[in-house]
Amino acid sequence: MSSSATSSSEDTVLDERQDFTDGLSYPRTPPTSSQVFTTVHSEFGHCGNEDYRYTSRHRAGTPYESYPEQDPPYYILLTTYISYLLVICLGHLRDFVGKRFRHVNYRHLLPWNGYAALNSDFDSFYTRRLKLRIDDCFSHPVTGVPGRTIMLLDRYSTDYNKTMIPTGTRTRALNISSYNYLGFAQGNGPCADAVETSIERYGVSSGGTRLEGGTLDLHQQAEALVARFMGTEDALISSMGFATNSNIIPGLVNKGCLVISDELNHASIRYGVRLSGANVRMFKHNDMQALERLLREVISQGQPKTHRPWKKILVIVEGLFSMEGTLANLPVIMELKKKYKFYLFVDEAHSVGAMGPHGRGVTDYFGVDPNSVDILMGTFTKSFGAAGGYIAGKKAVIDRLRIQGHSFTYAESMTPPVLTQVIASMASIMGITMPAEKPHSSPSLALLRSSSNEATLAMSEADIVPGTAPASALPSWMPLSPVMIDGSDGRHRLSRLAFNARYLNRGLRKLGFITYGNDDSPVVPLLLFHPGKMAVFSRMMRTRQIPIVVVVVAYPATPLVTSRVRFCLSASHTKEDIDIVLRACDEVGEVLDLKQAPGERWPVEEIISRAVEIVRAPKMP
Amino acid sequence: MSSSLQSLELLLAFLSRSYTTLETNFYKIPGSAVVARYVKSSHQNDPGRTLLEVILIIFAIRTLLQSRTRGDQSGKHFIQFDEKEIDELVEEWTPEPLAQPLTPQEQADLASVPVIVGPTGPKPKLASGKTVINLASYNFTGLAGNEEIKASAVDTLRKYGLGSCGPPGFYGTQDVHIQLEQDIADFLGTEAAILYSQAFATISSVIPAFGKRGDVIVADRGVNFAIQKGLQISRCTVRWYDHNDMESLEHVLETVEKERKKRRAPLTRRFIVTEGIFDNDGAMADLPKLVELKKKYKYRLILDESISFGSVGRTGRGLTELYNVPASEVDMLVGSCATGLASAGGFCAGSHIVVNHQRINGTSFVFSASMPAALTVAASEGINILRNTPSILSTLQENIRAVRAILDRAEYITIPSHPASATIHLQIRWPTLQVPMHASNSSSNKPSNPLSVKPRDPPQFDVELEERVLQDIVEEALSQGVMVTRAKRLRGQELVEVRPSIRLAVTAALSRKDCEKAASVVKAAFAKVVGRRR
Ligand SMILES: Cc1ncc(COP(=O)(O)O)c(C=O)c1O
Repeated sequence: MSSSATSSSEDTVLDERQDFTDGLSYPRTPPTSSQVFTTVHSEFGHCGNEDYRYTSRHRAGTPYESYPEQDPPYYILLTTYISYLLVICLGHLRDFVGKRFRHVNYRHLLPWNGYAALNSDFDSFYTRRLKLRIDDCFSHPVTGVPGRTIMLLDRYSTDYNKTMIPTGTRTRALNISSYNYLGFAQGNGPCADAVETSIERYGVSSGGTRLEGGTLDLHQQAEALVARFMGTEDALISSMGFATNSNIIPGLVNKGCLVISDELNHASIRYGVRLSGANVRMFKHNDMQALERLLREVISQGQPKTHRPWKKILVIVEGLFSMEGTLANLPVIMELKKKYKFYLFVDEAHSVGAMGPHGRGVTDYFGVDPNSVDILMGTFTKSFGAAGGYIAGKKAVIDRLRIQGHSFTYAESMTPPVLTQVIASMASIMGITMPAEKPHSSPSLALLRSSSNEATLAMSEADIVPGTAPASALPSWMPLSPVMIDGSDGRHRLSRLAFNARYLNRGLRKLGFITYGNDDSPVVPLLLFHPGKMAVFSRMMRTRQIPIVVVVVAYPATPLVTSRVRFCLSASHTKEDIDIVLRACDEVGEVLDLKQAPGERWPVEEIISRAVEIVRAPKMP
Repeated sequence: MSSSLQSLELLLAFLSRSYTTLETNFYKIPGSAVVARYVKSSHQNDPGRTLLEVILIIFAIRTLLQSRTRGDQSGKHFIQFDEKEIDELVEEWTPEPLAQPLTPQEQADLASVPVIVGPTGPKPKLASGKTVINLASYNFTGLAGNEEIKASAVDTLRKYGLGSCGPPGFYGTQDVHIQLEQDIADFLGTEAAILYSQAFATISSVIPAFGKRGDVIVADRGVNFAIQKGLQISRCTVRWYDHNDMESLEHVLETVEKERKKRRAPLTRRFIVTEGIFDNDGAMADLPKLVELKKKYKYRLILDESISFGSVGRTGRGLTELYNVPASEVDMLVGSCATGLASAGGFCAGSHIVVNHQRINGTSFVFSASMPAALTVAASEGINILRNTPSILSTLQENIRAVRAILDRAEYITIPSHPASATIHLQIRWPTLQVPMHASNSSSNKPSNPLSVKPRDPPQFDVELEERVLQDIVEEALSQGVMVTRAKRLRGQELVEVRPSIRLAVTAALSRKDCEKAASVVKAAFAKVVGRRR
């Protein structure tokens, strides 16, 4: 099913508005005959220039660094507070008047007929009076592959965003919002081919919970492969990333245990911790001194009131924080772990696949032995273009979680198409070792490959980390393409993502924007501060000649004053795409007065022409 | 931010100083006294409100200034240590291992889980090489492996790729999701529906989206684990009524109302939470009575139809279709596309207000990627098939009757499940001579205490023994070519221990003869294993 450079028209259904000039559906400069691209440009951009590659790796011996959180000038802070104050006052005023003169509109917010309001006017104030004003920036319906570009279903509102009416038209936009780090969101290519074969073979259902008749051979193969990928003894998978945290953490800790959690940890972690019944303490985001202080305090004090020693202490951090672009400071945490004997849980939802020279996540990035982290959790929704999540670690721990976590007993198991996408994309990153004899030469080989016992055996024999995927560990019917086997597809994706991430991070800095996070992070938050600017930024980007869709976030997902726009880079973006984003940010940022960072600035064209130099410099030039 | 906070504090100090000067000067202005008096008197008319607002402002400032990570050094239980002592304490402390290794029993349990090689379905192949009749997997209407569904899933895969790569709020809402939500709403007859990407994670998000601290939830004592977790997260005041007992429910509703009147407590949200067909034993709720009661006492009804949706009713719409109750009478109707439609995910159907509220407050909706498009379309296709082929559901009911006809009066088996339920729970009926189960001997019919989840006279049974015996039965049946499973439960984590059972999931994809054969095998296995113990 591979398509040559000019066959983007395979994307037929989606391409109603045939536009050849914006560079979204077709490359602006047609490829030469020597270049053969096998992807659909709108899904995974064509980029033949080998200079636009980089390796995501922490430089050994240097401390971990991210951009220091910078305060904007006072007038920005002040006006931000004032604008919140203004909308809050206006909102209260409108509620006051509305409740008296337009009673019907408020009925569901007030007690009525003996029922308390489902959501009282007070509880819903923020949503009704602040979020609703800019609701056109959220939950925009889309269609098609959420790849390098995305097809927006246009809509408008005549009642200030209370209802949205689809216009029936579509707009293709450059997508720097989806969690498609490695660009595996594809309707074409080896992974999609594998999934198609699997649907024909398995259908879409797995038939129940893992322990009650919902375990397929594919589950075992996927779990073995994940363990191999992560370099751990064992792994388990669950059908939803959120639920991986919320159902598994209660299997790890309970009453008498303490969870120390980064203050910016994801909602799913907090949900799981709350279910577990363990005590929780939080420390300031990524502040290692605060963490050490807290550790000293909690270990010396013991459990509240009784002062009994804690049964165990579990520190939970995210590998890559999805709103900040910061990485867990793993080198320091590992030092602390030795001294304070806590267990470490790293949520790699965003970092697995996206960070490290081999895409194995933050451990790979920092060169830390994955086995020294007790629990490596991650999701397949992001880098792998699938769904669900995994937990990797020691066999004893994983087995305990299979029996004691909620997932295996009560939650439906992962479906075959998703399992296949996980297996195919992971194998693609790892590369595949074919058996010594010529592949497909002996009839017994197919037999050998289908048996899962053999699979686990083959796994244990070669323990090079990061390992490749032995062909015997993959489903025998899975079509394998040459680029998967030699691992070139995976390397290509990793190096493009690493380049794009560093380029945009540093480019925006050089333009004078305040951004957070690490240079190598594919998540790039750009600070807007004003709530009002979120809407304007999002709309200005969406209505440009080359439309760009962005994610804007504000309180309560971030602290009140630090509203931001968040870019998520992908291996599917080409350098030209990043240029487009930089130019757009430059223009919009000028209008919105966003360039507030101190330091030397370059004009946008200079940044674009010196991109390779900017990326390769160890320290930002 | 701390530097800016400091300067803000300076600013505040400055402001308050200027305020005092301003105030003294204010009263020097002629006519100012009148204004001041006016403000005061308006305040007098509604002092509560002013007070409330002042408190609000103070609270807002406090939350703003307070660091979220503050420790509790100030607490009275804090012991002061010097650095060296702390070092020693750190040195001394030895944590428990992160996880206890499995016991041999647990290992055996895990190893006994059957692995299906290839597709699941009515007659799958197991890793042992054996092809078996499958009464374990959920496939009520036989949609698993349906060719039409496969074809549309492949189609969708080619157009959308697999993953949605984003939560619904951030470009993860695809047209197919909107379509499936519409299809579900239309199928059930509600205004709207919302799609979650895992069925198990659905109701545990739905309940806390509405129920907050101080709200009242009246729940059945037999609710499933997901609901228990939802109740736990919600922090509501929970009152319990006896399992599937409408009299007990009415009694609890009355007590709650009395209590509220007595305390003159303000009106809070009130919910009844129960299941359509119970996951734990297959009993069926009396929906018309539930609706009557919830209206009478002005409660909202949260009904978990994870098992009943797609398995009862003329076309599989669930309890509302079976009892002919409009689905709009159920305020939050939760169901599973994974179980009912052989796809993935769960949903909550209800009014626009109910659904839209969850789009912002349903934790596992907001903070999780939306469902893969191919699975979404598969579910839509499943609804289409159910809608257009009522014969599927009548076949299913015939199969259920065939199985029940054999098992209902079998020696050694008790079935607590409703005759129409597609999940059939088989509990052990011990021969009368040998009773490891102490029959409850209290004859008083005083109601249970609504504050406690434990019923007044809980049935006694030996969990370990029964699980072991049931597992033997499962294995005996398997050796005869029938795959069944124990209803797996997390012992010690459930609020009330559930009586161990074997849970059959009947499917329309098997012929009547196969069903009868399988049921006979199960019956024989019970006779053999339980009988042997005499
Ligand atoms: C850190 C973290 N953990 C878990 C999740 C949940 O993953 P999923 O979307 O697969 O449910 C997310 C998703 O946003 C996340 O950012």
